[in-house]
Amino acid sequence: MIRGNVGTGTRFSGSAGQTARLMLYGLIAIVLMAMDHRGQYVPKVRNVVENAVEPVYHVVEWPFRAAGNLSEQFRTRRELRHENEELRRRLLAQQADLQRLATLREENRRLRALFEGADSLEFEYRFAELLRVELDPFSHLVLIDRGSDDGVTVGQAVIDGAGVMGQVEDVHLHFASVRLISDPNHALPVQINRTGLRTVAFGLGETDRLVLPNVPREADVRVGDLVVTSGLGDRFPGGYPVAEVRTIDREPGRTFARVEAAPLAALDRGREVLLIRSNVRPPVPPAPEASEAPDGAAASAAGPTGDDAEAGEGESARPDESAEAPQ
Amino acid sequence: MIASRDRYPMILATLALAAVLMIVPLPSWLQSAWPYWVALTLIYWSLETQDRITLGLGFTVGLVLDLLTGSLLGLHALSLVIVIYLVNRFRARLRFFPPWQQALSVFAILMNDRIILLWVISLRGDALPSLDFWLPPLVGTLVWPWLFVVLDRFRGSMRLRATR
Repeated sequence: MIRGNVGTGTRFSGSAGQTARLMLYGLIAIVLMAMDHRGQYVPKVRNVVENAVEPVYHVVEWPFRAAGNLSEQFRTRRELRHENEELRRRLLAQQADLQRLATLREENRRLRALFEGADSLEFEYRFAELLRVELDPFSHLVLIDRGSDDGVTVGQAVIDGAGVMGQVEDVHLHFASVRLISDPNHALPVQINRTGLRTVAFGLGETDRLVLPNVPREADVRVGDLVVTSGLGDRFPGGYPVAEVRTIDREPGRTFARVEAAPLAALDRGREVLLIRSNVRPPVPPAPEASEAPDGAAASAAGPTGDDAEAGEGESARPDESAEAPQ
Repeated sequence: MIASRDRYPMILATLALAAVLMIVPLPSWLQSAWPYWVALTLIYWSLETQDRITLGLGFTVGLVLDLLTGSLLGLHALSLVIVIYLVNRFRARLRFFPPWQQALSVFAILMNDRIILLWVISLRGDALPSLDFWLPPLVGTLVWPWLFVVLDRFRGSMRLRATR
């Protein structure tokens, strides 16, 4: 890439050569971009090469992580006790919710058995942390510190404490990149929690807005409605909160209303996330209920916080297939 | 020529630092105004050294930056190649501009780069960015004189060490 003999030719040929090389490099760059965009060859190569970049992320992250640890060290006893108390209170509230959930789950299972329903799903949560690295603001990607070594797979859903964040797009050895739901090319099958109306949420390229373009104009949608995943499309498990309806634009003469919603997950500032993996389970094993309960409780305690209460209230109005989802 | 050859590690070191600056985590208000450090650094070296900064170097650095930032492969490569081309083309004039005029030229180069980025964004079909999309060139221009001084100091100290 380094040329030795500049300036030996005449001035004119030098600048013409420059221009020719500019054209050449520009062409290569454009072809690369097109191939990367279309997903031919380039993403595969890129996936391999990106493993080499990993150490840089750790170097960038290290001072911030160290500073975080340091401030953790110097927290006072009082603060810790305060936080402890707060957490205990929250745990208690959530356990109360869980008790109700357990009976609902049991009921749901019995009903399912009655109808000889489809396999029910069980979810595993895996904790991951975002790498503190700022990527290209137009890429809508974030990096998490778990990779194929930890069993992360492409397409896994990623949530944070409040709602759905995105899905795993590329898996490397020790890290993975997650495409956020705010990406303009991302579509997420959702439903309005209150009415069960199914639709699709698209990203707009901004971290504080999603758009639901295919809601019929006369549909029953209100500002403040909770939007949850519908579980269609098999990527995202159903029943996870996604966003809250912010504006509804019912323009006369259009078939569809333009509904905008604000994502619940902290897309631009979250740090801790959960990876969801769903395992299809053989239908209705009735006996091992007792041994399973603590396991389920642990999983949900680590799961979405505000979710359980709302899901419980919306239960009666919701269609059956998503009722088991919050667990 | 020999002197300029040992400059190579120095150039690469500052470029690496600039690349790291591009992915440092920042509060969001600062993030939207964060200047294009790699381009600024390349402009500096391109002005100050005769022929060390070739289009090929810009292309390679750009590809590395694409990998680092997860952007479309070739995006930064394209932008840096164009930046270097412009600086090389007008180097004779740029070098002897008074500082404010030089800063203005840097502003023009950075704006041109933003326009190219805008073109790529619209080709991809992404939503058009908001107004603070144009903030980085402004901040980059304001940062430019300081960066120039810092890099000059750095280069000076390196040269001293080399001659000693």
